[in-house]
Amino acid sequence: MTIKLMQGNEAIGWGAIAAGCRFYAGYPITPSTEVAEILSRELPKVGGKFIQMEDEIASMAAIIGASVGGLKSMTATSGPGFSLMQENIGYAAMAEIPCVVVDVQRLGPSTGQPTAASQGDVMQARWGTHGDHPIIALAPTSVRQSFDLTVRAFELSEKYRTPVILLTDEIVGHMREPVELPDFATIHPAEYRVTKKDGEYIPFRNEPGDVPPLANFGVGYRYHITGLFHDPQGFSTQRLDEIDPWIERVNTKLEKHLDEIIGLEEDLQPGAKTAILSYGASARTARHAMKLARACGQKVDLVTLLTVWPFPEAQVEALGERVDRIVVPEMNLGQLAYEVERMVGRKKVRRVTRANGEMVTPQMVLDAMEN
Amino acid sequence: MDDHILEAHGLELDEGQLPPENWFERSETLQKLRKNKKFPTIWCSGCGIGVVMGALIRAIDHLGLKNDDVALVAGIGCTARMPIYLDFNTLHTTHGRALAFATGLKIARPDMKVIAIMGDGDALAIGGNHFIHAARRNIGITALVVNNAIYGMTGGQYSPTTPLNGRATTAPYGNIEPPFPVCDLAVAAGASYVARSTVYHALELDKFLSEAIAKDGFSVVEAVSYCHTTYGRLNKLGTAADMMRALKDTSISQTAYNNLSPEAKAANTKIVRGNFVNIDRPQYTTAYGNLITRVQGGGK
Amino acid sequence: MPEIASQPVVPAPTPVPAKKGPRGQVILYATWCKGCRICVEFCPPKVLAMDPGEDHPRVVLPDKCTACHFCDTHCPDLAIVVKKLD
Repeated sequence: MTIKLMQGNEAIGWGAIAAGCRFYAGYPITPSTEVAEILSRELPKVGGKFIQMEDEIASMAAIIGASVGGLKSMTATSGPGFSLMQENIGYAAMAEIPCVVVDVQRLGPSTGQPTAASQGDVMQARWGTHGDHPIIALAPTSVRQSFDLTVRAFELSEKYRTPVILLTDEIVGHMREPVELPDFATIHPAEYRVTKKDGEYIPFRNEPGDVPPLANFGVGYRYHITGLFHDPQGFSTQRLDEIDPWIERVNTKLEKHLDEIIGLEEDLQPGAKTAILSYGASARTARHAMKLARACGQKVDLVTLLTVWPFPEAQVEALGERVDRIVVPEMNLGQLAYEVERMVGRKKVRRVTRANGEMVTPQMVLDAMEN
Repeated sequence: MDDHILEAHGLELDEGQLPPENWFERSETLQKLRKNKKFPTIWCSGCGIGVVMGALIRAIDHLGLKNDDVALVAGIGCTARMPIYLDFNTLHTTHGRALAFATGLKIARPDMKVIAIMGDGDALAIGGNHFIHAARRNIGITALVVNNAIYGMTGGQYSPTTPLNGRATTAPYGNIEPPFPVCDLAVAAGASYVARSTVYHALELDKFLSEAIAKDGFSVVEAVSYCHTTYGRLNKLGTAADMMRALKDTSISQTAYNNLSPEAKAANTKIVRGNFVNIDRPQYTTAYGNLITRVQGGGK
Repeated sequence: MPEIASQPVVPAPTPVPAKKGPRGQVILYATWCKGCRICVEFCPPKVLAMDPGEDHPRVVLPDKCTACHFCDTHCPDLAIVVKKLD
């Protein structure tokens, strides 16, 4: 592909197509609507299917149904729609159905300010749905990363049989940057499903750390999928000797593969005693502040989280051992900073928060590095 | 059909569908039941949902469908427990959302027969929005709505189809909300096949379900049943057999209804059984397939 | 076939004179029956009976079965089957 001036949301659409997404169901909501519009145009060209459902709850349900039917599926929304989707996100986590949910975060709570950005859904992405469940959330900081992390989201969701949230925001979603996307032929869609009947199939077998492959409906294994606690065959159960192994297996299936799931970028300076740690749009502020600081001769580490959930505990803990202060700029009141504090202690963390729709400024970060 | 059968089932000529000759060999029935599931079912003794399950598998058998080609998508509730017993591709989803999940599945697999199995609360309260939009789109899904006029699984709360003045656990002084006319709703929203019968008229249910499943469009079959355990007990309506007999006594065929005088029609309180709509409209997945062809051919 | 159903409870076959006698044979699967009495109460010739305290019906008038199939199409548990006799 040639270099194009492209919007973040558009790059998400192309990332989905490149990753083999062939079903999109969604509901318009600012600032995510471009994802839907682009896919409504591009999916039919590659034989994929697009539908605008009657609400976000139906959209989430439809992408799970289509995934069970064999298609890689995605939806896109923002805060209020993300709230509506939570019940069915929990269903996908419980039934272990691969799907990608794009949340282009906007200012909340409630209707908030649809055209302003925030990073206010960090905790919702982790715990928005009830009950203990694992989740993956990726946060791009640029238009190119919006493409790359969308491709990655599909890979991770298919491999680990889990919903994956693409936790972007109105700034990265609506900005335009020159990008050169890779040739789609070089991107191989993740293929982990059972697409042919061959021998016995145990849909939810409980070997520890196991991710049993998903057999598409209609392949020949006529099995049962439910949101109730279920045995390895998929039938609902109340037996503790079937519930406990499921809890163990599913809630540790990501932990056992963190090497593959955790993504972050580190720009470290030997001897630095201060670090700036951020993600999403705020990572751009962080990088700018880092450049200003280093230009003045100050040593500073810069860590950009590309995976927000599972939280990169080991990496952040190691960072806390190297530096005396970690500055965490984010466009909320400290949702990710909580996690950093949990790993390194509150004393070492300086929150730089802004939850009014405006970006954190580099000067705010520099001030937090000093004081 | 033999006269004695018609009379025994309370049906008029052509109102029912007799199962095929070999149906009653036990092995035919069992082919549709899951071999790795425990029976008898969890439903209360005498529950009409079991009767509907029998009608459903007889209808699928009548159509000669392969088990692999059938998907049952259920919501939450007693009725939604049906698919677990049946040897098809079964998806037990969240309350009220069966049609939305089924929409995604049908679009991914337009070649499969997708049947959504819902109770009255599931389909028409929490699921009401998805019900009308599935009908509007005319997507090739069969909506089997078992209407027992109550939320049975949770102990007997009133639903959008509970009769006026009926007692329920959340209507201890009598229900003051008028009920939905399920079939009228479906017709108005655009369903291309709409029919209603009762669990007393099981052979008529067989016929309507066969037609609905064969229909290429959004088809609705309302199977009027009863919950003697909750609603029946709270309203002193007797045993399961009593409530089944009441369905016979309080229902009227569409033919008979149409022969009533305008005054009698206006005063009618009986359940009208019949096929109310059977039209041909573009089916959603076919229309989208045509769109893909058009777009890939360079069209706009 | 699942192992779940018990041995069926089948009445002893009665000799069938030409053009008279039962048109159907009633077969009960007792372990699937929940004793709801729908078959007993609706059988037109009263082929089945169930006394209070009994778990499942008994075929008491096998000759009277007309194979109308009311019982087996209305049994919520598929616990009764009528086999058509020639």
